[in-house]
Amino acid sequence: MVDHINAALFSSDQHFDADIVIIGSGAGGGIAAEQLTLAGFNVLLLEEGAWYTRDDFVMQERWAYPNLYQEGAARKTRDQAIGILQGRTVGGSTTVNWTTSIRTPQPTLAYWQSEFGVNFQAQNDLKPFFAKAEQRLNIQPWPVPPNMNNARLQQGCETLGWHSSVISRNVNGCANLGYCGMGCPINAKQSMLVSTIPAAMANGARLISRISVRKLRWQGEQVTAVEAVPVDQYFQPRSDVRITITAKHYIVAAGAIGSPALLLRSEVPDPSGRLGKHTYLHPSVISGALFDEAVNGHSGAPQSVYSDQFVWPADNELAGYKLEVPPLHPVLMATKLIGSGAQHAALMQQFNHLQATIALLRDGFHPQSQGGSVMLDQHQQPVLDYPITDYLWHGIRRALLSMAELQFAAGARQVLPIHHDASLYSSWAEAKAAITQLPMQILRQTIVSAHVMGGCNMSSSAQRGVVDPYGRHNQLGNLSVFDGSVLPTSLGVNPQLTIYALVWRNCEQLIAELSP
Amino acid sequence: MNRRQFLFSGLALGASGSLLLAGWQFSLNPDEDNRDWVLSAILPALLYGALPEDATLAQAALQRSKAAVIDFTAFLPLSQQQQLDQLFNLLANRLSQLALTGHITALPALSVTTRLGLLNSWRDSYLLILQQAYHSLRELLYGAFYGQPQHWQQLNYTAPEFR
Repeated sequence: MVDHINAALFSSDQHFDADIVIIGSGAGGGIAAEQLTLAGFNVLLLEEGAWYTRDDFVMQERWAYPNLYQEGAARKTRDQAIGILQGRTVGGSTTVNWTTSIRTPQPTLAYWQSEFGVNFQAQNDLKPFFAKAEQRLNIQPWPVPPNMNNARLQQGCETLGWHSSVISRNVNGCANLGYCGMGCPINAKQSMLVSTIPAAMANGARLISRISVRKLRWQGEQVTAVEAVPVDQYFQPRSDVRITITAKHYIVAAGAIGSPALLLRSEVPDPSGRLGKHTYLHPSVISGALFDEAVNGHSGAPQSVYSDQFVWPADNELAGYKLEVPPLHPVLMATKLIGSGAQHAALMQQFNHLQATIALLRDGFHPQSQGGSVMLDQHQQPVLDYPITDYLWHGIRRALLSMAELQFAAGARQVLPIHHDASLYSSWAEAKAAITQLPMQILRQTIVSAHVMGGCNMSSSAQRGVVDPYGRHNQLGNLSVFDGSVLPTSLGVNPQLTIYALVWRNCEQLIAELSP
Repeated sequence: MNRRQFLFSGLALGASGSLLLAGWQFSLNPDEDNRDWVLSAILPALLYGALPEDATLAQAALQRSKAAVIDFTAFLPLSQQQQLDQLFNLLANRLSQLALTGHITALPALSVTTRLGLLNSWRDSYLLILQQAYHSLRELLYGAFYGQPQHWQQLNYTAPEFR
């Protein structure tokens, strides 16, 4: 690719200039790169991760996790209670996500309007932008029968009379392999890596990979430059070469941990006190189930069915949760399964018979669910502190109960809540009695997240947000934040389609403002 | 020194007598010998039941896993690498090992069952720092072992041959 620059190859200080520099090449940065390039701007796109292509995607976790994920897919919250899966490669998390594409739920938008004054009605309706993103990325309901892992979720819902729905996916020519999380080896997944980024580059955008942006220089109400360094072969920031970049407009799109961290390192004005605060995760818990028939959760589209039976409970004192399934691969399963020694080995031998269901808690909609805080460690790298409140623990226990009930209804022989005090239960009654007694404590209850949101939230009021409803920074005029960090709460759905639509809309507004 | 590093050191110092260890540096720096020594002791315990019964094959699996641990940790944030190195250094020191495990006998001299019991006791410890050590070692080591295609036979799983 002619205009791809690998910063790791720099041996002396460098300077670049552009109309618009975009920091981060995931869902937000990718959409912005294409739209702004099409509008005639000279765009420079920066990515901390590496530029890999389908030939690199060998469908093995041992290569994919260290090379495509933040912190080798071993990122954790500060107390190590929650594991976080987040992409770090050209295309960001879109290169490694499981392709689930769902529009922002109406109740979430209504909550943002009432709490943050962000209006998505009438002329501000996001629907046209959902439609554009769906067309651009070939987002359609998955027409192929679900794999057995998803089919069990569907079957359990049908038996119990619970809601379930087929998932729409951003794929084109998908071979139903099941390795989306390790990078699509056939370019079927319409990630930013194969769609908007190459399109932007064909129109003149430049991409610098393996570059870590350390700081935004600013003065008065303007950002004046980007300070960056290359990363080494392990993606650690180097100190031997300095890179500066100047532009007319600066877009931060480094994800909901990376973007607040960059703004914190830059010590930008923060009169609302909300920078790096109110970070949401969709804290997720897992329930394993053994079936007599093979499940083969490694094979086939990883997510094709979901259930919203519990996501919007009538009683707002209860935490809502969405039910989905994860793909099952050896490392993912081995690291999340409970136990050690022979007990762990015996469970691993049931690899092909294990079904797993996940419940994603909708955080950010209750006084006891105000999210986490991004802070910087002694190396100026981000760490997320995320306290788990009783409100969330209560939701987690209910989620474990729902999942066990569902799995037995789907025909499971035994159910194993992924909690370090749990064991294999042979009936719904036994599981129910046990789950009711499980201690709801960090590091006893396994919690994971694949959706990081918030930390630079949008609001109609500068007192209640870091950016305005169009992603423009409230204090620095030539700075926008275009990624999941602008979300004022979690979503209650997988975030990629919301970010695509929101950033597309915000780009149109930015183009209108910046165009001569 | 951050709070976590302080806790590790404080824990070892408190339990094994500050006079004995006052001069000992609880180094955050990598020490390959210490790491290898600790991994050699812990891996066979954690992987009990998963390693091949044949001694030669088991040894090869352990070597592969050790190499995978070393390859992987370079990708962790520096602060996490330092915490791991400190844990390896502490466990390789007989006195701090006593503090962390309650055993003065060198780890490799303990039976596999005892070693596994020690790890599991960290999981159930009232000290958050030991619980964290259990979980981080467990994830790191299981990830390293099950990441290797040679170890998938007992899962009845084969990597897809797409190309």
